[in-house]
Amino acid sequence: MTGTPARSAWVGRPTAGPREAAVWSTRRRVVTELRAVRGRAYPRLNGLFREKSWLLFEILLPFLTTSAFVFVYRALEAPAEYVGFVVLGGAMTAFWLDVIWMMAHQLYLEKHQGNLELYFTAPVDLMSVLFGMAVGGLVISSLRAIVALVVGTAVYGVTFSVTHWLLLAAVFVLTLASIYGLGMILASLFLMWGREAWHLTQLLTEPIYFVSGLNFPVGRLGLLGALAVATIPLAVGLDAMRQLAFSGAPSFGTPPPEIEALILVGMTVVYLAVARFSLGVLERLARREGRLTLRWQ
Amino acid sequence: MAAPAATRPLGLGPIGLSGWDGLDPARTRGRGWRDLWRSYRTAVRLGWEIEANWTDPLLFFVHSIAQPVSSALILIVMLEIVGGAASREFRGYVVTGSALWSIVISGVGGLAWSVLDDRETYRMLRYLYVSPSDFLVVLLGRGTARIAIGAMGASITLAVGIALLGIPFDPGRVNWPLLAVSMVLGLAAIVAGGVLMAAVCLHARQEAWSYPEAAAGALFLVTGAVFPLAVLPSAVQLVGLAMPITWWLAAVRLALFPDGPSSLAGTGTAWAALAGPVPPDAGQTLLALLVTGALGVLAAAIVFRASERRAKDRGLLDQTTGS
Repeated sequence: MTGTPARSAWVGRPTAGPREAAVWSTRRRVVTELRAVRGRAYPRLNGLFREKSWLLFEILLPFLTTSAFVFVYRALEAPAEYVGFVVLGGAMTAFWLDVIWMMAHQLYLEKHQGNLELYFTAPVDLMSVLFGMAVGGLVISSLRAIVALVVGTAVYGVTFSVTHWLLLAAVFVLTLASIYGLGMILASLFLMWGREAWHLTQLLTEPIYFVSGLNFPVGRLGLLGALAVATIPLAVGLDAMRQLAFSGAPSFGTPPPEIEALILVGMTVVYLAVARFSLGVLERLARREGRLTLRWQ
Repeated sequence: MAAPAATRPLGLGPIGLSGWDGLDPARTRGRGWRDLWRSYRTAVRLGWEIEANWTDPLLFFVHSIAQPVSSALILIVMLEIVGGAASREFRGYVVTGSALWSIVISGVGGLAWSVLDDRETYRMLRYLYVSPSDFLVVLLGRGTARIAIGAMGASITLAVGIALLGIPFDPGRVNWPLLAVSMVLGLAAIVAGGVLMAAVCLHARQEAWSYPEAAAGALFLVTGAVFPLAVLPSAVQLVGLAMPITWWLAAVRLALFPDGPSSLAGTGTAWAALAGPVPPDAGQTLLALLVTGALGVLAAAIVFRASERRAKDRGLLDQTTGS
């Protein structure tokens, strides 16, 4: 035998053995992670074209729910900007629902489908898989949000008064980043909690809507609102967008949008870091104990 | 000449298997109502175990009331922000509607979630379907457990409204017979809505978890749950008047708060155009609930059976999905 490495069965280059074959170049790692994102987003996007019912149930009907709150304000003869609050809140719920139903709850479902063990054994980061889910889900939730904003504006005559478009766009992107970061943390927690996941998902809708000030300025909740602004990205993002989209509307003592944008930056960094840590713990537990990925556990 | 059946050795059926006395056709037919009741009872118990045994009683209690109480609080804060006499008048109205809505959501969603749970998570739907129990009865039993939890949430939300939010409530003025009859008729109509959603979810993918809430949310707009129908366009009001849930909510409000604002009457409303300016009385409300509810139950039964046949034909009962 000569010392020249043979062409490897594991990778398309000559290697001395599996250990050497497992050492990937940075380019290869990045390309594989991007493929994982695309691969996980694909079934979600493709599913849209196979199942048309989502157009009715995930776009039209939720808009009617938002409309119900518009009519509550109309019944009370509230000022026009309050109707705008409801429309903006209705648009942002699309992203929150996407995070809790199609990301936080998803790993638990994947476990029952038998996909989770494949994710752990595949040579990709679990965050890439979750990011792929987010990209796929974002298409649906963005459509829903756009419909809520456009139709809400047209039907209910909402007038936006934006002075800082750039800041508004930045706050929107930061809100999404921090919400999806939180979703990744919840995905790992829900997986560890098991069957409670479904129930906890439900617990994260109406109570979070309330403390986030979905249809009203969150500052109206006093200390509870302040706590929400400090911890829940939906609350701080909505409040900042509300202040930016309806200049002159009452804020009830919440920080100015510039400060809230900084809070969102902090939340994004912290939530993504915690998500990375918790997913790492999850992966270690899955490999060491071998139970985490098994169905019915 | 063939030997008479009585001479066949006991314990050896027509194919000679020991311990088998041949096919008894009565066993395939079942024992009618007794079997249905037993299936229903078992399904209720199973549903309750699935819903309730996932955590300790305290967390279960918090989970059961968090959603309806939060919904009511969202509306209360909205009323408080706007302020004025209208907000005080509407406080009891919105808390009642919001509390009762937890029954609607759990009723409309219960059966559909059972279909999705059993098909996608537990993968038992195919076995339940081929079991001797009637499939619809099993689903109704599973849904009953969720309705019970929804009813608990509704009761506690009402209690919170009365005790902490200052809603005027006098037990002596409650029309108990109207309340009892409207609850029975209303629950039947809500379960019919649940059967319809289950029919939809038999054909939908895994992500249909949110469909029942979306459907219930659309009903939220047209049934006068948290605002009077008078603020809606006339055509939408007519849609609302065709919904049994509209009449159920009106009947329960009439029973609990006889002097409270009506969700149906008012100047320029569809009800006023049809029947005059006087709000519907208890008899009219119950009659409307009965008629619309009966039509809803009939429609749900027809749609469910058609959906079930189609799902069986296309092999959807044991198909798992995902995206």
